[in-house]
Amino acid sequence: MTYRDKARGCLLGLAAGDALGAPAENLSPDEIRRRWGRLTEIEGGGTDDTEYAIFAASLLVRHGHGLSAELVAEAYRTEIIPRVTGPMRGAGFSELGTVEALRRGLEPPLTGLAHSHGWSDGLAMRAAPYGVFCPGDPAEAARLVEQDGLVSGSGEGILGGRAVAGAVAAAMGGASAEVVVRAALSVIPAGSWTARNITRVREVLSEMRPHAAATSGARPPGGGATGGGPAESGATRAPAEVELVEALHRAVVVKHYPWTDIAPEAVALALAAFLVGEGDVEAAVTFGVGLGRDADTIGAIAGAIAGAGQGEGGVPARWAARIGPVTGKCLPVVAGRHVLDVADELAKGL
Amino acid sequence: MSGDRIRGAFAGLAVGDAVGWPASRHRAALHAPWSRRLHRELDAFAEEHRVTTLPVPFALNQPTAPLAVGPSDDAEWLAWTVLTIDRPRAEAFRELAAADVRARISVATALDNLAKGVEPPASGHDNPHHFDDAAAIRAVAFGALGRDPTPDAQVTNAADGVLGAQAMAAAVAEAVTTADVGRAVEAALAVLPQDTAIGHNARVALEIARQAGDAFAAVPALDAALLDHVYSYGVGAAQTVPVALALAEAAGGELGKAVPAAACLAALADSAPALTGALAGACGGYEAIPEGWKASARTLAGCCLPHLAGKNLIELTEGIA
Repeated sequence: MTYRDKARGCLLGLAAGDALGAPAENLSPDEIRRRWGRLTEIEGGGTDDTEYAIFAASLLVRHGHGLSAELVAEAYRTEIIPRVTGPMRGAGFSELGTVEALRRGLEPPLTGLAHSHGWSDGLAMRAAPYGVFCPGDPAEAARLVEQDGLVSGSGEGILGGRAVAGAVAAAMGGASAEVVVRAALSVIPAGSWTARNITRVREVLSEMRPHAAATSGARPPGGGATGGGPAESGATRAPAEVELVEALHRAVVVKHYPWTDIAPEAVALALAAFLVGEGDVEAAVTFGVGLGRDADTIGAIAGAIAGAGQGEGGVPARWAARIGPVTGKCLPVVAGRHVLDVADELAKGL
Repeated sequence: MSGDRIRGAFAGLAVGDAVGWPASRHRAALHAPWSRRLHRELDAFAEEHRVTTLPVPFALNQPTAPLAVGPSDDAEWLAWTVLTIDRPRAEAFRELAAADVRARISVATALDNLAKGVEPPASGHDNPHHFDDAAAIRAVAFGALGRDPTPDAQVTNAADGVLGAQAMAAAVAEAVTTADVGRAVEAALAVLPQDTAIGHNARVALEIARQAGDAFAAVPALDAALLDHVYSYGVGAAQTVPVALALAEAAGGELGKAVPAAACLAALADSAPALTGALAGACGGYEAIPEGWKASARTLAGCCLPHLAGKNLIELTEGIA
């Protein structure tokens, strides 16, 4: 499989996971099951995850390994801020806080420290292109994504981005699912919240996965036969998978907090979905969005990592058919761009 | 160290805690749940009918005391800290799991973490509001008694949240010893690295207040430079502690000038006045606090820690102050 194929699979998987998860964001797993059984069909367009990933990829295409936090800040000043004339739709708190910090004249890393959403998963959701750009080199992917993260995040938000970029880089290099997760852990400190949460979900999986594996093994790998209606898939949902979802929530979900875009949580849940799906795009993404919380970002991350491993052909054709050029509703500067073209540009220099 | 100034720090915190709208919302928690449901329904009514200033909170067929001026969450957490200060901190917090407490998100998450076996410092670190000022409030007790607030702070907070506690403890310790607000501010700055949000903001806030020359005059510039206008975090240590330092200094350590100015920063009005009051109270001492405020602020409501309802904060400090 060529890097170009993997790059296309990665960004297509990201866009598909984003679009599939969008209607499930902030819903409980119970509510998702009630509405869809298993959520398997893309209903509408993607969100900020896809548009910010395209923006990140454009920075890499221009600056390559020389990308720095200063260059990223400059891109915010020249390409994002001038086009924010009214409300900045679809942006997360961390990006909005960063825009305010830049308008105040702050420079990175203070732009990412000055607001309190440093832990946002806003970097993790757009980290995949950095992994695509550094196949087989998780450390370099993590170093590059940190340059982006220093502008808009801090602490665990940057670590979440590093973990995802590292995982994608390993998947681009052909690593197995287990090795991909180890690559994510290899680029963040063991004493971080993100690392502890990844360890927590792995412990849950090692205790409960025999049941989950039996459930997912009942489906054809990568096939489209799981797209049954709510009644059918709801009725056939194995109790073991419901228990697994509950156990993952108990392990890493912050109970008393109104927001769900917490990187240590979203990244750990996305990696859990990737492991449950054993690297298969459809299995990983549908399990991931069924977890609720920041479902579009969980789906996007799981889809990107799995897609980098499986290539374009690993993304279900019916999902790929739903992914068109982005509208620019979150970032006007990327309006009209298609993830597959962006993937080709990224892969050109590899 | 002066007993009068230690009492001043505690009473000053309670006065700052009692001023303004947030205290009345905290104290409304003492009423029956249906009264707060009516608050929400009246909010919706006001939205629909485009009318302003509806009567919330209120007491109907209920005790009226919670509607009087009085302290709320921060004074109670300070009192709890004084009462448990000799206990291992995680152990003291763990006991709260059985109590029906209301708390900041950092504390609620830390209690969850402790219940799951996640010990400090991870209990405060694996925490979305690790940056809030819950520990900075408790640090007033540690600072007044000349103790290190860090082990306590790390149960519920990390990064700027712990630095905020260390800065408050350093400033209060200096103030109860010397009564010099300038030296208290210097002691706080000495523990706040420049490359952190709280360290950066503290220096910016002090510069603004010094240029304004007066606490009240500094309010709009502090709002413009420091406050998050995307998301109004009421209790971020990187905002509340710098504001407290700047306003206490600009007021020359006078509680009557510093606390009302802090209450004018609407987004920070829940806890910045309390931190400001603690610093100014420590500088001026208990005797300098107006009699009416002393009387109003010393009786705890029990709106966050029910077992402290009716307790006198100043009596709790007897034997230590």
